[in-house]
Amino acid sequence: MTKTVTLAHGAGGRQTSELIDEVFKAHFANPDLTADDAAVLMPPVGKMAMSTDGFIVSPAFFPGGNIGKLSICGTVNDLACMGAKPLYLSCAFVIEEGYPMEKLEEIAAAMEKTAKEAGVRIVSGDTKVAGKGQVDGVFITTTGIGEILPGIATSGEAARPGDAIIVTGDIGRHGCTVLLERENFGIETDITSDCAPLWGTVEAVLNATKDVHVIRDATRGGVGTVLYEVAEQSRAGIQLDSSAIPVDDQVRGVCGMLGLEPLYLACEGRMVIMAPKDRAEKILAVLKTCPYSSDAAIIGEVTEEHPGKVVLTTEIGTKTILAQPGGEMLPRIC
Amino acid sequence: METKTRKTAREIIESYDGAPIRIMEVCGTHTHEIFRLGLRNILPKNVELISGPGCPVCVTPVSFIDEARMLVLEKGVTVCSFGDLIRVPGTHGNLADARAEGGKVQIVYAPMDAVDYARENPEEQVVFLSVGFETTTPACCLAVDQARKQGITNFSLLTANKTMPSAYRALKDSVDVYLYPGHVNAITGTKLCEDLAKEEGISGVVAGFTARELLTALAAAILYHQKGEPFFFNAYPRVVTPEGSVNARKMMDQYMEDYDCEWRGLGVIPQSGRRLRSEYGEYDARIKYNLPPMEGRENKACRCGEVLQGKCLPVDCPCFGKACTPQHPVGACMVSNEGACSAYYQYGGNLL
Repeated sequence: MTKTVTLAHGAGGRQTSELIDEVFKAHFANPDLTADDAAVLMPPVGKMAMSTDGFIVSPAFFPGGNIGKLSICGTVNDLACMGAKPLYLSCAFVIEEGYPMEKLEEIAAAMEKTAKEAGVRIVSGDTKVAGKGQVDGVFITTTGIGEILPGIATSGEAARPGDAIIVTGDIGRHGCTVLLERENFGIETDITSDCAPLWGTVEAVLNATKDVHVIRDATRGGVGTVLYEVAEQSRAGIQLDSSAIPVDDQVRGVCGMLGLEPLYLACEGRMVIMAPKDRAEKILAVLKTCPYSSDAAIIGEVTEEHPGKVVLTTEIGTKTILAQPGGEMLPRIC
Repeated sequence: METKTRKTAREIIESYDGAPIRIMEVCGTHTHEIFRLGLRNILPKNVELISGPGCPVCVTPVSFIDEARMLVLEKGVTVCSFGDLIRVPGTHGNLADARAEGGKVQIVYAPMDAVDYARENPEEQVVFLSVGFETTTPACCLAVDQARKQGITNFSLLTANKTMPSAYRALKDSVDVYLYPGHVNAITGTKLCEDLAKEEGISGVVAGFTARELLTALAAAILYHQKGEPFFFNAYPRVVTPEGSVNARKMMDQYMEDYDCEWRGLGVIPQSGRRLRSEYGEYDARIKYNLPPMEGRENKACRCGEVLQGKCLPVDCPCFGKACTPQHPVGACMVSNEGACSAYYQYGGNLL
C-alpha cells in the first residue's frame, strides 16, 4: 500500500477497499462488522442510549493518547454517563489527502485497543478523503449505542440538595496537555492526558449502588462547566471545597503561569458523580479500586441555597462564586 | 505592631474599627485574586478596597486601538498582540473586527513570539502592540534588541508602555494606602516607593499574590495607617528586593525614554509613558508608517475612567451587565480578565 492517503483511497474503488481491509478491518474485525451496507444487530433488552461525537483535536497525537483513543473514549464515556453499557460503535473518518498511512494505522490501533477495553464493537464505518488543506489531518466521528442497566436513571436534572459531589480523579490534565503541545510556551512538564474509557469505572459504581443521581463526563468545558450546567438543570446550588479538588501539581503550576482555572480545563477521562451523601463513601471506596479513579475525591455538595450557582469555599475559608469563563475557550481540544 | 496577644493578619483586618481607610489595589492580578479569594467579604465596613488602574489593557486609550486598526486595514501590516487587546473597542470597532474585515491580526503570548513570526514571514511587515508596565516593558525592549541582533527589519513596536509611579501621584487624593503591585516592584525595587512616602506623603505596601501575602499586606496597611504617618512597607520580600532587577531596567533605559502619555480614563499624565528612543526610530511603528496623531472617541455612557480612578464602582455604571458584558464589552475594564468590571461581573460583585 502507498505511504500516504490519496484521494483515490476515498473514491470508493479498489484503493478504498485496500485501505479498509489493511487498516480498518485489520484492527476492528468482529462478527458484527461485515462488508454489507449496514450492520445488523440485536437490540438491547432494556432501554437504549445513543450518542454521537465529532473529534478534531489538534495536535492529533499528544502525550497520553491520540485522536483514535479519544474518539472511542468520548462516545463510550457519554454512554456511560447514562448508566449504559456500550455495545456498538460506528466511526466515520475524514482524512486529508497526503496523510501518512503509518499515522492512520497508529490511530486505528489505538481505537482497537480502547474499544476492546471498553467492551464495545465497531460495527460500521466510513472513510472519506478530502483534498489537501480542506481538512486538517484526520477528523473522526463516532456514534455509539449502549444498554442502560436496569433501575438506573441518571440525569443532569436529578441532582438533589444533600447530594455529595464526587470527581473521579485529578482534573484538567487533557486540556493542559493539549495546550502545552500546541502552544510553544517553553514550559517543560511530563503531564499526560487523562483520556480513558470509563465504562468499567461507572459499572463498578452502579454495581455498588443504584442510588446515583447524576453522572457527567467533564470534557470540553471541564468540571466547572459541568457543575454550572447541573446547577442550572437541577435548579440547585453547588457548594465546592476548593482544597478538596484534586489537581496535579504540574497542572496547577501551568495554570498559575498562564492564568487558567483548572476547573475549566478539559478532561477526557473524568466523571462528576452526584449521589446521596450516605452513599458517597461507598462510591469513593469503589472508585479508588478502579484503574482510572484512584485519586477520586468528594469535592462538595448540592445545596438548596444559591440555585444555579457554583459557590467555592476558598483556601482561606471565604465563600465566593466560581467565575464563569467569558468568551472563547480553547478551540479544538477534542 | 507589638501587642500583648499576637493577632493573625486576618484577625487584624476583621477586627479593625478605626477611621475609614481607602486602600487601592493597583494591580489587575490583585483585583482578580482578591475576588477569587472573596477577600472583600471579610473586610470591615470602614475598610474600602478600590480597584485601580493597573491593568495595562484597561488604561490603553481608544486612540491606540485606532492606530492599530489603521496599521492593519490601511497599511497592510500584520499586527501581533496579546489576546486581551483584540476585543478592546476603538472608535470604529476593535481588532477582531479588523481581522474579520480581512486584516491580519495574530495573537501571541510574548513579544519575542512576534519577532519569531517576523523572521519566519519575511514578506510581511509585523508590528507588535507593545503595552504593559515595568513588568512587560523589558520584554518589549528585549524583542527590539533581538530583532536588531538578528537583522530583522520587518518588525516594529506600536508602543503604549506605561510606568506606575506617575499613576500613584495622579490618584493620591482618592487613596489612603496603595497595595503596590509586587511584580512591578520586583523590577523597580523599593526606593521609588520609599521616596514617595518620605517626600510626597504617599503611603503603600508591596503585596504578593497568594492568600497569605495579600492578607499580610492588608493587615500591614491597616496597622501602619493607624500610626498616622506616611509609610512604606515591603510585604513581598521573597520576590521584591530593595534594588530590584538592574538588568531589566538597563534594557528598558537603553531602548526607551519617558514621555507625557494618555491613560484611558485618567487623561495625560506627565512622563508616565515609555516610547522608543529616537535612535531606534526604525523599530517605532508610528515613525515607520508615518501614523497621524489620532484622537479616539470613547463611548460616552461608559464610566471606565471613573472606575479606574476609584471614583465609582463598576456596578454604578449604567452600562454594567446590560450593554457591557465580557462577551460584548463597551469599556476596556470589561475586556481583560484583570479588569475591575470583568472581575465584578464574573464574581457577581459581593453577592455572598
